Amino acid sequence: MKSFEYAAPKSLDEATGLLGDKWGDTEVLAGGTDLITCMKQQIVAPKRVVSLKNVADLKGIKAEGKSIRIGATTTLGDLIANSSIQEHFPALITAAKSLHSPQVLTLGTVGGEVLQRPRCWYYRNGLGLYNDSQVRGGDNRYHAIFGNDGKALFVHPSSLAPIFVALGATMIIAGAKGKKRNVAAAKFFQTPKSDADRESALKPNEILAEIEVPTSGLKNAAYEIRHRQVIDWPYVTAAVAFAAKNGAVSDARVVLGHVAPIPWLSQAASKALNGAAISETTAARAGDAATQGAKPLSKNEYKLQLVRVAVKRAALAAGAA
Amino acid sequence: METGIVTMNEMVAVQDCGLIIDLKTAESQVFGALIMGITYSLFEECVYDPKTGIMLNADMEFYRLAGLKDVGQLKVHMMTGNGYEERGVVGLGEPPVISPGAAIANAVANACGVRVPYLPLTPDRVLTALQQKGGIA
Repeated sequence: MKSFEYAAPKSLDEATGLLGDKWGDTEVLAGGTDLITCMKQQIVAPKRVVSLKNVADLKGIKAEGKSIRIGATTTLGDLIANSSIQEHFPALITAAKSLHSPQVLTLGTVGGEVLQRPRCWYYRNGLGLYNDSQVRGGDNRYHAIFGNDGKALFVHPSSLAPIFVALGATMIIAGAKGKKRNVAAAKFFQTPKSDADRESALKPNEILAEIEVPTSGLKNAAYEIRHRQVIDWPYVTAAVAFAAKNGAVSDARVVLGHVAPIPWLSQAASKALNGAAISETTAARAGDAATQGAKPLSKNEYKLQLVRVAVKRAALAAGAA
Repeated sequence: METGIVTMNEMVAVQDCGLIIDLKTAESQVFGALIMGITYSLFEECVYDPKTGIMLNADMEFYRLAGLKDVGQLKVHMMTGNGYEERGVVGLGEPPVISPGAAIANAVANACGVRVPYLPLTPDRVLTALQQKGGIA
């Protein structure tokens, strides 16, 4: 690890003031479960690390009016233990529990989970994140099947991000000098264009402060397909949220994880769920629809079948919720 | 069967190693061998990049090893008594780690009616074998 300057400011304003205007010069430290690993492997080598541990108002979960606000440095363990989250968002509970590791749940934060860097093994081995010819001709079994026309072929690694998109959450971003701006979760996650960019709408001198999730009564569930039953990265995840009136589904959102460089909102699957009651047949139809437009690489066609199953099972679980 | 993911429910090992000096140690050796056998049958694989030759999964995230929940119920029975003990001490290091691969692959073939002729039995391989057979059950 290269040596770096360490700052632990007490306020959000102070923290944003310590950040540079170019990615890579400064990094924000929350739980450190990803950042420290990246620094040890010299995938990132910041000159300054800004820790958020002393910024008290970034932590905690508050119910306010018709939404719940989750502070970015709330730990995943605290998210799971929160009764409002348990009541309204079973999808978040399922996904956070699936992270399994006690260390990650105790130290890892909600903000860090959605902003962790991709797990692409070419990237993690120092061969870069946009090495598309290497990935296309190499071992791409875990890479993207959607949104993979450009140079970015990695998959978004977050388990929570697809759920925030499905629930229509808003990301509240703190910028320099106390400025705040809101970005819808669906627009917050972005496919970067080059190494000089990152995987979200954040600018280098901004910090994700809170995530506001509306409690509009959407039924929701998440399902992930993984190989090991202990800690493991999923092959494919699916988040499903919808309104149900007299049994009929409306306003459905089906969002896939681990299939594209961003959480992948499947319009076709969402449409397939609308209008009828959830049953084995409609859930399976949505699963089939979710594979529309997929462009598998040389070694990841099997993910199509996993998408079908994950969507079907998530829809059935949401229906039963 | 629709995900191609193989999970362990139960595995039984019956082992002959001649005269057993300490039954507990001998049984423990077989338990360990079964766990290693499950791990190489379902998970372990070195993935190399065809162009650069670097190992892509030289870490504990993508070089998977079985965890406690992946192992299932294990039963070990050691053959003892007449016909075994008079043969003296026979090696027990490797023998019980060899058969789990075949046993698990046979169990998969028996369960889904198609042979998956590669280890580890990862979902991509199981699904490909099922598709060649003519569809996923």
